[in-house]
Amino acid sequence: MDFLVGWIAIVPSYATPLLLASLGLIVCERAGILNLGAEGLMAVGAMTGAIAVLSGLDPWAALAAGAAAGTALALLFGLATVVMRADHTLSGLAVVAVGLGLTSVVGRPYMQKTFPGIASFGDLFDIDRTTALGRIVAVQDPVTLAMPVLVALLWWWLMKSGSGLRLRAVGENPAAADVAGIDVQLAQLGAVLVSGLLCGLAGAYLCVATSHVWVEGMIAARGWVAVALVIFARWNPARALVGALVFGSADALVPRLQAIGADIPVYLAMMLPYLLTLVVLVASSMAGRASGEPSFLGRIYLRQDKH
Amino acid sequence: MLDAAFLVRRQAPGLLLSGLCYAGGLAFGLAVSAVLLVQAGVPAAALVDEFLIATFLTSDGLAQTVTAALPLVLVGLASAVAMRVRFWNIGVEGQLWLGAVASTWIGLGGTGPDALRLPAMLLLSAAIGAAWIAIPLVLKLRFGVSEVISTLLLGSVAFLLVQHLLFGVWRDPATGFPVTAAFLEAARFPSLGWGQLHGGLFVVGIVAVLVWFMLGHTRAGFYADAVGLNPKAARAAGLPATATVVGLVLLSGALSGLAGMTIVAGTEHRLNQSVGSGYLFSAIVIAYLAGARPFWVVVVALALGAVFTAGSVLKVFYGISEGMIVLVQGTVLISILMAQFFGTYSLSRPGRGEAS
Repeated sequence: MDFLVGWIAIVPSYATPLLLASLGLIVCERAGILNLGAEGLMAVGAMTGAIAVLSGLDPWAALAAGAAAGTALALLFGLATVVMRADHTLSGLAVVAVGLGLTSVVGRPYMQKTFPGIASFGDLFDIDRTTALGRIVAVQDPVTLAMPVLVALLWWWLMKSGSGLRLRAVGENPAAADVAGIDVQLAQLGAVLVSGLLCGLAGAYLCVATSHVWVEGMIAARGWVAVALVIFARWNPARALVGALVFGSADALVPRLQAIGADIPVYLAMMLPYLLTLVVLVASSMAGRASGEPSFLGRIYLRQDKH
Repeated sequence: MLDAAFLVRRQAPGLLLSGLCYAGGLAFGLAVSAVLLVQAGVPAAALVDEFLIATFLTSDGLAQTVTAALPLVLVGLASAVAMRVRFWNIGVEGQLWLGAVASTWIGLGGTGPDALRLPAMLLLSAAIGAAWIAIPLVLKLRFGVSEVISTLLLGSVAFLLVQHLLFGVWRDPATGFPVTAAFLEAARFPSLGWGQLHGGLFVVGIVAVLVWFMLGHTRAGFYADAVGLNPKAARAAGLPATATVVGLVLLSGALSGLAGMTIVAGTEHRLNQSVGSGYLFSAIVIAYLAGARPFWVVVVALALGAVFTAGSVLKVFYGISEGMIVLVQGTVLISILMAQFFGTYSLSRPGRGEAS
């Protein structure tokens, strides 16, 4: 029971970065741009967040700085894919390389230096930690609490609002959207920047709010898990919330087991999130037509082509 | 935005134009990388020294460059053969790690007589690399799972297995560090007496020639081109499309596994936590820059071998992280990708171009 409460308590903080990143990717891919760069965008966000806090900035400002850094790198990706019509897959991989390389070079002096994170509810309010509920609530922070709200807003915007419909039209059929007077390139570029913002924030949250330390390679393929999560979520923000909780639980299991001193093969247990991702991908792929994949995802739109 | 002018796809971009775009992209990427290096603290004057003279024009440097290029040729070929049939092998590192693990098992005395140790390592590492990529291959062919994600995630799984072994049964009993004991003498490639260069050179040379011959001069290579250019047309023409994809993708995994073997048997003589790092992006960059053509893979791998050599020097003398190599690779890759724009499209003003 004790183990269970401790596990449930930390799941949101592991699910939040995955959720933020996959929400960003959903917006981007709904506009038809396949974004495989999440790992690099998150890496840049995490390192920038750490540098900001270590330079004396408020942790909240550090989250914003991480988001801004992710947006800046996404601008490069947008320039390549949207403006210069480069191959989405290779551009995404290049962004991962730039992000991982840049953080390794720039972040070296900031490695392994711990810092205070954002305040949890336990710090802000006087919460009775004797009950299970109290113990769970005490370790949550305002960002995790905001997640359901963000998901609801994004779902409403994407699925119910006029501008959300226009964005989805670009990803489904850019030629039709173009004829309807939608600026295809502008919509795609905006969507790419949103993905950079949210992936950067995801990385910064992971670093500033969860680990309180920056180490090279700390994203540890979570960006790729987010890419897979989008497929599981069928490009729907509401399903992404469910997926992020499932993956967050798997991710949080190993540190939790270590914390109670369980004798498990740690590295084998750490394979769990990756293997779970593969299983989920197979299950999602079997859904076939119902997968919800935007029809024009990853393809290059030229106005005069017959699509 | 760009709609003020129409983008028109060039029907047949000339050789000169494509060449110019490629060279321009490469030059721009390298220039940006040079600026980044100078920003990171390398004196501008030292760049030519470290990247050109110390890597190609001195005997020691050239030996080091060629040695570093050996596994790069293999992973470059691995990425290239998969690219030929439009399969993204982003898990080169994972297959390489497992190839290294299999070699280590034999190299530490696993089984068999000494005379067969090196051949057994070659075969087993290739086999396990092929087996590891077979999983994403089956997932793609049977369920349509994107191989980009599955190969990459299996790479992470393979690395965790290495960690498990290095922090477990294979931890060096003498020092307690997460490295294995040194290999048996019979499990090491013989030195060629020039720097660190080793007998793996012949293995890599033979493999490269075989892949070149297979892709360019056999029926399998022709099938691969047909499937890569248009899988539906290839299938409609009665070519064994699925068998071709299966064959080339398994070959890709085998080549990556072999790369792991040449590293541990050639230079490291033990398994540690860093033998496989840095090959993921190298493989993609080499294959892309070489246009997936084996001859050019060897050329680009040599150039990248020089970057690896220079990278380790910069690390020692200027305290620059190995991540610099990845940064240079990413910068050059995206620069060339963007430069293709000018070769692929021409701008035409509205009114003159054909409206949709």
